[in-house]
Amino acid sequence: MLSVIRSALATPDLRKKILFTLMIVVLYRVGAVTPAPGVSYEAVQACQPDQGEQGVFSLLNLFSGGALLQLSIFSTGIMPYITASIIVQLLTVVIPRFEELKKEGQAGQNKLTQYTRYLTIALAVLQATGVIALATRGGMFANCPQDVIPDSSVGSTALIVLTMTAGTAVMMWMGELITERGIGNGMSLLIFLNIAARIPIEGEIILSNQGGAVFAVVCVFVLAIISSVVFVEQGQRRIPVQYAKRMVGRRMYGGTSTYLPIKVNQAGVIPVIFASSLLYLPDLISRLVTPETETSWFKRVMAEYVTNQSNWVHIAIYFALIIFFTYFYISITFNVDDRAEDMKKYGGFIPGIRPGRPTAEYLHFVLNRITLPGSIYLGIVAILPNFFLDLTGEGNNQNFPFGGTAVLIMVGVALDTVKQIESQLMQRNYEGFLR
Amino acid sequence: MSDDGAKGNGEDARRPRRPETAAGRRARRRAAGDAVKQPAAVGAGKAGRGSSASAPAKRKGSPAPATKREDDGEKQSIFRRISRFLREVVAELRKVIWPTRKQMVTYTAVVLAFVAFMVALVWALDWVFAKAVFALFG
Repeated sequence: MLSVIRSALATPDLRKKILFTLMIVVLYRVGAVTPAPGVSYEAVQACQPDQGEQGVFSLLNLFSGGALLQLSIFSTGIMPYITASIIVQLLTVVIPRFEELKKEGQAGQNKLTQYTRYLTIALAVLQATGVIALATRGGMFANCPQDVIPDSSVGSTALIVLTMTAGTAVMMWMGELITERGIGNGMSLLIFLNIAARIPIEGEIILSNQGGAVFAVVCVFVLAIISSVVFVEQGQRRIPVQYAKRMVGRRMYGGTSTYLPIKVNQAGVIPVIFASSLLYLPDLISRLVTPETETSWFKRVMAEYVTNQSNWVHIAIYFALIIFFTYFYISITFNVDDRAEDMKKYGGFIPGIRPGRPTAEYLHFVLNRITLPGSIYLGIVAILPNFFLDLTGEGNNQNFPFGGTAVLIMVGVALDTVKQIESQLMQRNYEGFLR
Repeated sequence: MSDDGAKGNGEDARRPRRPETAAGRRARRRAAGDAVKQPAAVGAGKAGRGSSASAPAKRKGSPAPATKREDDGEKQSIFRRISRFLREVVAELRKVIWPTRKQMVTYTAVVLAFVAFMVALVWALDWVFAKAVFALFG
């Protein structure tokens, strides 16, 4: 293992990528603890222990890596970016112009990315305003004696909103930089970091509140989830592909038979991220539009059915969303027509099926059928802990980092990243981690 | 020349038993395999002709590409289609290659190591930065 790590660091290209990613990680954590201007650092620190974690804050705080309750410059987290990219991708199906852009290729894709960024900024402004409104009204720090934001003039508030929005933009940029020049998918790696930041704290809470026995059970449970995620993540349906022999000049090419791997869970963790961040939205909105003291019917319905994690409605919606996003994401990322076209171009075919459209249809057929168990499995792993939390949970039944969603995201991202390092190593003929 | 299965029944032994065509030979070989399971039912010579008819039927049982079947799927009722879909899901699932135990152990260990490393890193960073921020603002 150690020799593999050494060889990974000895490869100049890979070393650069890994160090670059680690540098972004360091910068990201700096931003997560730096308090925003106009926020009383002492007051925030003084109120911190009083904060019972529950409801929407738990999820938000988790996805912002604890930055939210610190009111730091990265308080908004990458949620706006995730939400914006969901919205834009959903719109590519609905709005014809977006669909055109998507089909246009690279130029259109760039345009869509640009739209995503604008939308992110808009959502970040909204969320930052909401965060500040909650903090000043006392919704975030319940029964806090001091004012968290002492100067509540318009200018000061605007400055904080501006800073937090800029923070979101920086995070978005960091994510894209990681995707482009580092290792792994930037967006999911940043979420991974956020969850990783909460693990020691939440683990300590469980250990101190519920004793060693429960902690051990939780650990075993997490281990079981990890290995089951690995199991399904590695399951592949291999579609045989035969390549025709052909002469190019004086040399013979092809004539090999390989396979096209289709993973049982082709979509990875993205559906889970999408579904969970979409679920928190209505609650956030309801908190933003109505004052803390007032209870409208909308808010009540939201609190009872959508936010409450042990409620059947919540579980059902979550499950359905995960299945939907799995299919949706696969349809976006795995273009069967392109695959069939590529195969045809290079003289490949699936034995027994003609190249071109029949091949695309066959791929579509297999993909649709193999995705169903994959998506159901994702949903089950994500919601199972909700039942268990019901059993063990007293006060802190929202131990998110040890819930299915967080573990799924962590394992998925870890696997993705390690595999990417592995494939980079393989290019240079080193033996990888995963023999 | 004569094999063990044919020795028992004398009438069949008189007939010419070696099939001339490749298909016939294949059928005979299959019949010899069948004869182990149901020895009393067929003699080797009879099966040479008889099973050549049943061979195509057997081949039909193997899964054909379903693109053709999909066309008439529109006429069936919704329950039929759902149940067929589920059957196809199971069929695809059978073709999935699952990781071996060794792979599982390696991957789980690697994932655990990665997560542990990142958690430790982030925890250390947070601790340092929290101290620094406290020194600056606290």
